[in-house]
This record gives sequence, structure tokens and C-alpha cells, in this order.
Amino acid sequence: MVYTIAVIALIVLIFFPRIGLLTLYKNYRGAQARERVEDALKHLLDREQQGRHASPESLGGTLDLRRAKVTHLLQDMETQGLIETRGTELHLTAEGERWALHVVRAHRLWERYLADEARMPLNRIHNEAQKREHSLTEAQLNDLEAALGHPTRDPHGDPIPTREGKINRAEGMPITAWQPDRPARIVHLEDEPVLAFQQILATGLRLGQDIRIIEKTPDRYVLSDGENEYRLAPAVASNIYISALPESEIMKREAVPLFELTHDQRGEIVTLDDAVQGFTRRRFLDLGLTPGTVIYPELQNFFGDPRAYRVRGTLIALRRDQAAQIWVKPI
Amino acid sequence: MENIQPNDVLAKAEALRNNLSTGFRDEIVKSLYSEAEKIAKRAVKTASDKKYDFDQKVDRIVTSPITGLPIMFLMLGLVIWLTVTGANVPSQMIGNVLFAFGDWARALFNSWNVPWWITGFIWDGVYLSLAWVISVMLPPMAIFFPAFTFLEDLGYLPRVAFNLDWMFKKSGAHGKQSLTMAMGFGCNAAGVVATRIIDSPRERLIAILTNNFVPCNGRFPTLIMLATVFVASAFSPALTSFIAAGTVVGVVLIGIGFTFLMSWILSRTVLKGEASAFTLELPPYRKPNVGRILYTSIIDRTIFVLWRAMQTAAPAGAIIWLLANIPAGDTNLAHAIATWLNPFGILLGLDGVILLAYIIAIPANEIVVPTMMMMYTGAGMMINGPSSSVDIYNLLVHGAGWSLLTAINLMLFSLLHNPCATTIMTIYKETKSWKWATVSVVITLGTAFLVTFLTASAARLLGWA
Repeated sequence: MVYTIAVIALIVLIFFPRIGLLTLYKNYRGAQARERVEDALKHLLDREQQGRHASPESLGGTLDLRRAKVTHLLQDMETQGLIETRGTELHLTAEGERWALHVVRAHRLWERYLADEARMPLNRIHNEAQKREHSLTEAQLNDLEAALGHPTRDPHGDPIPTREGKINRAEGMPITAWQPDRPARIVHLEDEPVLAFQQILATGLRLGQDIRIIEKTPDRYVLSDGENEYRLAPAVASNIYISALPESEIMKREAVPLFELTHDQRGEIVTLDDAVQGFTRRRFLDLGLTPGTVIYPELQNFFGDPRAYRVRGTLIALRRDQAAQIWVKPI
Repeated sequence: MENIQPNDVLAKAEALRNNLSTGFRDEIVKSLYSEAEKIAKRAVKTASDKKYDFDQKVDRIVTSPITGLPIMFLMLGLVIWLTVTGANVPSQMIGNVLFAFGDWARALFNSWNVPWWITGFIWDGVYLSLAWVISVMLPPMAIFFPAFTFLEDLGYLPRVAFNLDWMFKKSGAHGKQSLTMAMGFGCNAAGVVATRIIDSPRERLIAILTNNFVPCNGRFPTLIMLATVFVASAFSPALTSFIAAGTVVGVVLIGIGFTFLMSWILSRTVLKGEASAFTLELPPYRKPNVGRILYTSIIDRTIFVLWRAMQTAAPAGAIIWLLANIPAGDTNLAHAIATWLNPFGILLGLDGVILLAYIIAIPANEIVVPTMMMMYTGAGMMINGPSSSVDIYNLLVHGAGWSLLTAINLMLFSLLHNPCATTIMTIYKETKSWKWATVSVVITLGTAFLVTFLTASAARLLGWA
């Protein structure tokens, strides 16, 4: 009797529709297979954009797969009509490219979301997006894009493919191709290889920062943002992409971050930092922190942080980190 | 007129969007504000700056390094002292009336020859538990909530958030957490709901998970009773209420300390991340509207919380009565369970009865004290009404073998232990996740066990207990 019940219970547990162990396992395997295909597609697209061709070896290296598994995966993808093999070269079919762009779009939109709305630290968004990029359908992705306000670039400055699959290439060039002493803005930090990206972040360099090269030798680059100096190996520095300063920058030149205003100083808001996007920017604008507004510090916490500023007749407390993102011209 | 379909509009918008400059949102807000400014300039006249100057003066004082913190503690102490002293007499009066009614109803049932277990279940179980909850909770809430709403209306609470923000920043949390904590003094479930004012999901979760470390109204009676009976009784009667209030403030400060500690631990482990944007509006001071305060705090808060507590206390009362009246061997079930829990209770510097009382009181913490008393007196029902503090002292120390360590650890346990059932449900509703609801129980209960175990062991090692 007891055994019969136990056996029945076990059978129910395994074969129950939708939530049974067998179905869960199948779903898990299905998701895993899909992730692998999508990662392979991304690798092929990446290679094609660099003007190189992917090979079974490069794929096996990137996905960390044994040879036999790679062959199996490629056969699968070929029967699905996603890739073509010519000799050892792998090529995306039109269908394959469409899917690959979908994954890239998902990845970059997720990064935008994680940085702007969930406000996750920049060095963690890539890995998080890597996990989430496989889960959304095209319709969900369109909704996410609309909710984020149709961003064109991810937080690293990479272009987000449009829903038609177009990519607006980032202007900008590697810093290694830039002349010393000409001011420039960081427009993109290549997040792969991860090691180089981590090194760049560790120095404190960030997207949107204005820098100039003050020293350039075969074994090192020294960059400066006017306050700090950053030393990098040329191999690492080549992952930093820069372009000439935009017009609005000239205004910011004469401005100071809000927290530098002293107690009896008034300031006029010049601009909000470009690094502030999404939720935080909307909040700032909603509070009336628009360019041209007069603002001055009125109250200070015992420890200097936060401070409360009088703006448009109301008193608004901001931490130093926020006040650093608002640029003002002392008046 | 052409026939325009919704899809045509969408397609047109789609096409036009590509021509927008990146900063067009900034431009929209800017134009809205300049339009509003224009209208305001035409319509609003500022007569004098008197009010503004006054506000500035007050702000200087309440946020200054010298007077800011003391004023905060004074306010907290004042509210608690008002609650402690003011609630005492009405509590006894309400208790007397309700318990007398219970006695009368029981006698009536007996005269009708209703079977004893029906009478017992209804009047000694469900009704007595309700009577306790009302008499213990209603008066403190009716004082605490209006006093609290008064400070809120005045505009003082945002200044507290401003003063304390540096601590929250250090622990990786949001400055507005002090507002949700303040709400938690009234009711932790309300505090959890109030965390909606924090927009960052990470910091909001921290605020939710740590809200339980501020004692709510349901737990204040326990703290006040212990502070009065064990701490304040050592001082002259004139000082009793001040010492009791001071002790409760001390316990509250320990709770706030644990809030910071747990926030710090969480923001460095499971909820890793940087502090997010902090913007806090400090509104001008306003003259509180007393009528509205009384209405909102009595109707919206007091009656609401009380009704909720009654809904959970009634079944709990039934369970207590059943446990105390179902025989187990030569004793009853409650006694048997308490004996079984006793070794673990002793390890924490408590005892089995206290732990059982807390298990029964998961739906509503208000009934911890009455349940304990019932089991100590060995009665088959909760005892009638709050008795004098000397009686309670004698019962607990001479009858139940309590020491000062038991009282202190019970205060700590009451402060740190798991949220009540309503709060757990609220956490689930707010986070839509059983995982976080479970985490909230695990970390609070874990902290409570660990801290009480450490204090008990330390006291025993040093020979104090």
C-alpha cells in the first residue's frame, strides 16, 4: 500500500504536465540549447563586423566547448538555416544575422535598462545582460525599447541595432590613433576582452569623460582629465574609443559641479552631466533642475553631505554624488 | 477628410522619431518650466519674506551639528514618554470594562448550561484575546499615531531623513529609509508599504528587510511592561515613567543600530551595489491641522491597524485556549510544548514559555504578554487584564524564575525577532517574491537567536546570571 502510493507520487512528480520534473528538465535543456545557439550567432556577427571570419576553432574557444560539441552545434545551426560553412569559414545566413542582431539588441537594451532604471554599477551590467539577453521575444524587446525611450546607444557607447536590424556605427576612434594634447571625449569603452575593460574601469576612466593624452610612449599612455592622471598599457588603451568634444562641452568648460559652490555663492545650472540618463535624469528634470535655473546651497548636514539647495523656491537635498552631476556657472 | 488609421499615426511617429536630437526630453521639460514660470510671475505675488526667514532659522537649528541630534532624540523620547504615561490609565479602564463584560457573559452562558468547552472557547479563548489586544493596543496607538502624524504634518520628518542620511549612505542604503522606519514605529506592515517612496529597487529591498528592527506598536507594550517592571522599579516612583521611556528609547536605538548594521551587511552581500540617486524635498514648515490629524490618525491608522490586529488575535486566542485545554499525559498541550522548548529557550537566556508565546503570537505580537502570563499562572485561559507592576514582578521573578537577564533578552528578542504574519504577507505583496519574504524571516530570527544567545552566554561566563 505504502509502496503503491510512493510509486504513484513519484510518477506524478516526474510526469506532471508543465511543472513535473521531466518537463522542467526539458525546458532547462531547451533554454540551454537556445542560449548556446545565440552565443554562437553573436560570435559570428562579432567576427563579421571586425571583418574577420569565424571558424570552428574560434567558436570553440569563445564558447568554451569541446570539438565534438562544436561540430554538433554547427550541424544543428546549419540545418536550421542559420549559418553556412565554406571550407573552414563560417558565415551567417540572412536569417542567422537577423537572429544575431536580435540578441545583440536584447543585450544592449538590457544594459541600458540595468544602468538607467535598475541603476546597477557599470562593471556588473555586462554579465547581467549576458544572462538576460536570451529571454525576451521580439515584441517584448520592442516594449522594453519604447519604455526606455528608444535609446540609440548602450551605456558603453555601442549602437543598439534598430528593430529592422540596422546598426548606426559609433563614430570615434581608438585613442591610440589620436594626437597628443588635443582634448577628446571617451565615446566608447570596449567591454571585451573583459580583463582590459576591468583595468580601464579600475583606473577610474569612464564613458563621457574628457581627456587628453599627455604622454605617449611605446610601452605606456598617460591620460589626464585635468585633475587625475591615468596610466595604461597601449594594448589596454586601444580599447578606449574617443572623438572630438561636442559643442555643449565648451559651456561646461566654464562651469563647476554643483557641490563646489560655497555657502554664499549662487549658481546658474548650465547642463546635466551626459552620464546621467534614464531615471535619475528624469528625476532631476522633474525637480526643476533645468538649464538656466538659479540654485544655491542653503543647508548642510553635520558631516557636509548631503546638502540642501534652494531651487525655484523649494529646498531639495542632494548627496554629493548627485550634486557632482549638475554643472553650474557661479554668478 | 482622409481616413487616418491609428497605425498610420504610429508609423508617422516612428519615422519622425529618428529626426529628434538626443536632448529633446530636456528641452521639453525646460519649456514646460519656463511656461510655468511665466504664469507664476503673472499670478503670484510675494508679500513678505517673513515666513521664509522663519523657516530658514528653524532649519538651521534642527539640522545643526550641535542641536540637531539632541532635538531628534528629544522628540523620539517625548513621543514615547507621552505614549507610556498617557496609555496606562485608559488601558486599565478599557480592560476593566471589557473583562467585566467577559465575566458577565461567561456567567450567563453557565446559567444557560452551555457545555463548558463552548463557553471556554468563545469567552476564555477568542473574546479574552480580543479584549487584551484592544485594551493593550488601542490607547498607545491613539496617542502615538496622532503625535507622529503631528511631526509629519509639521514637516519635521524630512529633516530627520536629511540629518541621518550620512549614516544610510555609509550603510549603502537610501536616506528616505528613515521615513519608512518612522512609519514602522506605528506598524511594520505600514512601514513596508511606505518603502514605495524609495525608487531604487535595491535600496527599497534593504528598507523592507530591515524595517522589522524598529519595534512596532504591537511590541511596544511588551517593551514598556518590561521596562516598567524590571528597570524602572529600581528607581523612585516619581521617576518611573521617565526611566521606562528612557529604557524604551534605548531599546529603540539598539534597533536602529541593527538596522544600520543589517543594511550595511546586505548592501555588501546579497544586495550589492552603489548608493543610487538621492533627492529629497524639504517642504516648508506648516501649521498642523489638528482636526485632520486626529481624523486621519485615529480612523485611517489606529482603527485600521487595530481591526487588522483583531482579525489575527481572534484565531490566535482560540489556539491558545485549545493548547491550554487539550490534555497531554497528566498536563496540557501548551505545558508539554513549553517543556519541550525549554532547553532551547534557556540557551537563549529565555525559557520555553516565552518561545511558545512567540510562536503563538506570530499572527499578532500584541498577545505575547497575555499568553506568557496565562501559561505562568497555569490557568486554562489568559488572565484578566493588566495587573499592577508589583504583581507582575512577583509572578515573573518568584513564580517563573526570571532574572534580569531574562527581561533584557526578552526585550532584545522582542526587538529583533521575525515579523508578524501580516508584515510577512505585506513583504510578499510588495516584492512579489516568497524568496524575499523568507529572507526577511531568516535574517531577523537569525539575528534574534544569535544576539540573545551571545548576551546569555556572556552574562553566564561573567557570572551575572
